Amino acid sequence: MLLYASVLLIVIGLYGLLTNRNVIKIILSLNVLEIGLNIFIITVGFLDLEEAIAPIITLQQRASVIVVDPLPQALVLTAIVIGVGTTAIGLSLAKKMYDKYHTFNLDEMGEE
Amino acid sequence: MASLELLLIFTLISGVIAYLVGKVHPKTGSILTIIVSGIVFASLAYFGLNEQLLTKVSYLPYISFIQTPLAIFFGVLVSFVFFMVSFFNPYFIDKYTYKAVYSLLYLLSLAGIIGIFFTDNFMTLFFFFELVVWSSLFLIPLGRDEEVSVWYFGFSVFGSFALLSAILLMQSVTGTFDITTGLQAVSGFNRLSVFILLLIAAFAKLGAFPLHYWLPKVLTDSPDPVTSIFSGGLEKLGAFIAVLGLVKLVPTGFFIDVMDMYLTHYILAILGSLTIIGGTVMAIRQDDAKKLLAYSSMSNGGYIIVALSLGSSAGISGGLYHIIAHAIASTAAFLAIGAVARQTNTTKMSELGGMLHKMPITYMVYLIAIISMAGIPPMGGFISKWLIFQGVINKGLILVAAATFFGSIGSFLYVFRPLAALFLGQELPQFKETIKEAPIVMLIPMVILSLLNIVTGVYPTNILAYINTLLVDLNIVQLDITRWTIVGTNGTLNPALIAVMFALGVFIAFIIFISLKKSRKVELMDTYTAANFIYTEELLHYSVDFYAPIERLYEPYIHFMKKFYQALANKVREVGALVKYYIFTSKPEVATFFIMLVIAILLWGDLV
Amino acid sequence: MSIVLLIAVPLFFAFLGIILKKAAPYFLLLVSFFNVLALGFISQGAIVIGGYSSFYGIQLVLNSYSLIGLYVVNTLFFVIVAINCFKHKKLSPILLISLAGLNGLLLTNDLFNLFVFMEIAGISAYLITTTTKDPKSTFNYLVLGTIGSSFYLLGLIILYAMFGVLNIRILGNIIEGVVTNKAAVALPFLFIFIGLGVETKLLPFNSWVKGILGKSNALTGPLVGAVYASAFAFVFGNLLRYLFVFSESLLLIVSILLVATILIGEAMAYASTKVREILLFSSIAQAGVAVLVFALGYYTWGTILIALNGFSKLILYLVVNIAVDQVKSDELSALKGLFVNNKLIGAGFSVATLSILGLPIFAGFIVKMNILVAMANTPKFFFVGVILLASLIEGIYFIKLLINFWFEQDQAPRVKYSYVVIYVTLVIALLITVFGVYLEPLNSIHSTLNLVKGVVMHG
Repeated sequence: MLLYASVLLIVIGLYGLLTNRNVIKIILSLNVLEIGLNIFIITVGFLDLEEAIAPIITLQQRASVIVVDPLPQALVLTAIVIGVGTTAIGLSLAKKMYDKYHTFNLDEMGEE
Repeated sequence: MASLELLLIFTLISGVIAYLVGKVHPKTGSILTIIVSGIVFASLAYFGLNEQLLTKVSYLPYISFIQTPLAIFFGVLVSFVFFMVSFFNPYFIDKYTYKAVYSLLYLLSLAGIIGIFFTDNFMTLFFFFELVVWSSLFLIPLGRDEEVSVWYFGFSVFGSFALLSAILLMQSVTGTFDITTGLQAVSGFNRLSVFILLLIAAFAKLGAFPLHYWLPKVLTDSPDPVTSIFSGGLEKLGAFIAVLGLVKLVPTGFFIDVMDMYLTHYILAILGSLTIIGGTVMAIRQDDAKKLLAYSSMSNGGYIIVALSLGSSAGISGGLYHIIAHAIASTAAFLAIGAVARQTNTTKMSELGGMLHKMPITYMVYLIAIISMAGIPPMGGFISKWLIFQGVINKGLILVAAATFFGSIGSFLYVFRPLAALFLGQELPQFKETIKEAPIVMLIPMVILSLLNIVTGVYPTNILAYINTLLVDLNIVQLDITRWTIVGTNGTLNPALIAVMFALGVFIAFIIFISLKKSRKVELMDTYTAANFIYTEELLHYSVDFYAPIERLYEPYIHFMKKFYQALANKVREVGALVKYYIFTSKPEVATFFIMLVIAILLWGDLV
Repeated sequence: MSIVLLIAVPLFFAFLGIILKKAAPYFLLLVSFFNVLALGFISQGAIVIGGYSSFYGIQLVLNSYSLIGLYVVNTLFFVIVAINCFKHKKLSPILLISLAGLNGLLLTNDLFNLFVFMEIAGISAYLITTTTKDPKSTFNYLVLGTIGSSFYLLGLIILYAMFGVLNIRILGNIIEGVVTNKAAVALPFLFIFIGLGVETKLLPFNSWVKGILGKSNALTGPLVGAVYASAFAFVFGNLLRYLFVFSESLLLIVSILLVATILIGEAMAYASTKVREILLFSSIAQAGVAVLVFALGYYTWGTILIALNGFSKLILYLVVNIAVDQVKSDELSALKGLFVNNKLIGAGFSVATLSILGLPIFAGFIVKMNILVAMANTPKFFFVGVILLASLIEGIYFIKLLINFWFEQDQAPRVKYSYVVIYVTLVIALLITVFGVYLEPLNSIHSTLNLVKGVVMHG
């Protein structure tokens, strides 16, 4: 289920990128795309392991407990941080563009 | 220097020295080019013709030499042209923007020439081929028009890349870059491809139709010595490649029994004929003397192609002889025009006249050169054309024969126009006081070349004998020559006899000339027309629009190749502009779309 | 000396530079110089961060291949920084971070780690390109870069889901050994290809290039056009060598894209009249050639090609951008006669150009011939034809450029080049010529690279 949701989010993000010319909306679409991607990464860790628990090492290690793959969760943290970084730069660029062209719409900025 | 390697290194190093010297004193740098090219020519000629060149290589990596009659033939000829032209360098060096670089590039080209002709390795050949391309490339824009060199580069590199493809094809078959092995080992479709690619390279270098577009432009707009180098020397690289492709490579393609000829060779002969016709008709309509000779150079390239494609002894020896005759004649003609241009700063026939009075020796040089170029006895051009006619007629190629005759007769029409317009006629007032005969150093090469023009026409036996040894090397039946005659199928030629007859004729004419009453000299504007005196002398100049009625016949058709190449360039530009317009916007959606598209295509292929 | 230092030292000084703002440019200069020097003392091999086994941990690998990459990137970076560091003082920490990112890109043997370094290098590149005062282009670059790296991430996660490992060389071996139906891995590889394609400027994912390089200045032009381009080409080559497995249809798509990149790139350069645009479109085509050479499996000469192009393009972008900064126009007609008063610069520029065109006595000739001979022997004559056709078009517009720069009747623009620029240009030009005539160095690099076997499993 989650897998499909993530793919759906990615597609929505791409759709947004294809159709929008508003700088803010493009950044939002990019974020939607990234969220979809992050969810996708998470789902990779748990496919077919619905009863698995979080990968936390406790004092009693029992062989019967199934933990999900911890690596994707570590990866996703990094990916989220990077996503925030790019969004921040994107927004600051959006502000610069607004200062320069007084609009958020790429069409109205003209092509040179 | 008997060692080819030392000769090559010597030329390269003296190129650098000439550059450094030229930085301080340009004229001295250019004088060095005379000395160096002289040494190169002398070594190649002396040791080469005695087959004593040393091919051992001990310093240069990956380079190996071989001494073949073909290499010596071309090497001696082209280095001779470089040597002759170099006498002009000191007098033209002041006109160039980059004086020291000129000497460097001149010698670099010469070094490249040695490498091309004497190597036994295709990769080395290509190395030097490209070296010559770019070093000669930067000589061109020192002249009148810079854009020309771009055209030259385009066609030249197209040719070199065809050559490279042929080389790679042969290498992939044989696993070696050895020239002889490569040319012998390819077979079947590969051989046909190699043949076509080599001929493309030859055509591009020789400036033959349909790859001729650059030649007239380059020959017109280069500095005058460079023009001579191109016409007499660098064009001959194309002839060299043509010999490799047409003679050394085993012929291939569809054999036509009736004609006793391969279809591929026949097509080449036709293309050569088109080159002859094209060059001739274009030469007829030029006003610029250099441009006129440029087109004539093109048509002579056509003769070489036709001759070599015949494959018979008369044809090939005619072609090789024509390479010599044309190199000598066109170098002399271009040098003569160059000498005039140096004194007057123009080469337009409508702006010149009466140079005979001030530059008689240059006039004689030009006269002899054009007689040779038109193929009139007793000059070298006659011998080669006679052989070519023999070859063409023996094969019974009517269309080709018609073209070669047309070219010959056409050349009567055009070569005499510069003679009449530039040298004869009345002196123009603006040149009356200022013009002198060219300096003596410039006259030296012109006189030598003229003498050679005559020698090659009167006593061709030595050269033909050498060509005969070359034919043995190429596995072709030797030409039947005796000391004074050349035996063809349709008759025997005795050049010396013809020369004597000519000399007699000239002598009689001279007797008549001095015995009759002296003609009165008139001033240029000492005439009137329609009851008016004439004030603007250009209108009277009979070389302007001289052949207008003939030109009108073909005027609408002459630009089709030019249009083709310009359309080609425009198409490339359009494709570029189109993609630039559609992809390179500042909107991210475009790239996103293409990413989706590419993914969709993959999914279509793999998963559906 | 550990290879981690190449990444850690620039990062450390970057953060130090944020605190000590005054000292930041000096840090930048010293650290980039240190990196070039350090390469001489560093020992080859692989290390795993955090002491894990190479199957789980992040592995950094230094072999002759990545060493060449590091030398090229660090040297070029140092040169550019030396010319520019006091003009853009504020950027010093960011430049240091980008240096760390670029070194990381070349060293890492971990797919996800590669993504992180891609983003570090990318984000610093976005910030550096803001110096051209054109936020719209930078924004476009940012969006495309992010989309590209997202696809890259998607691809690597799919690979991880399929094989459970992120180490590039191990993953490559597993795929080589296990996967029988190559079409099954075509999709993730296409995603990765697209992701890297955006950064290496392959058509049609590269619309950011026009805004970034078409309006570049003396810092961003050489940095993005030479340093970033070579770094990403090296990375691409690395992945193509150790990881990529092409299914038939993927290979077809990739070949079409690359051929289109090469030919259309040249056509676009031919269609341009602005000098910077000519350079940027021609570097698109050259990137296509480099990736094609790798995709067809000629790794060693591909590596040398990228290295050589990096140096040549440094000259081109540097010379042109400095001229454009001073003349305030990048129309070819405005720059006509640029070299009339700057003959030394002109000589260096001409050598670099002729080498890119693959003309003899310059190193480019040797590299190009070796690549073409290798292609002809495989035999892949179609690609030989493509490269030759591209070289033809390339030759025509570059020669036009050279002739225009050298010859001018009226008045030539007065452009002043600093001694550093002249010196750098001449040294690189000299090296290109020497390597073009004296073949031993290139051949020894070639044979060393040939010795590098794909597997460095346990560091």
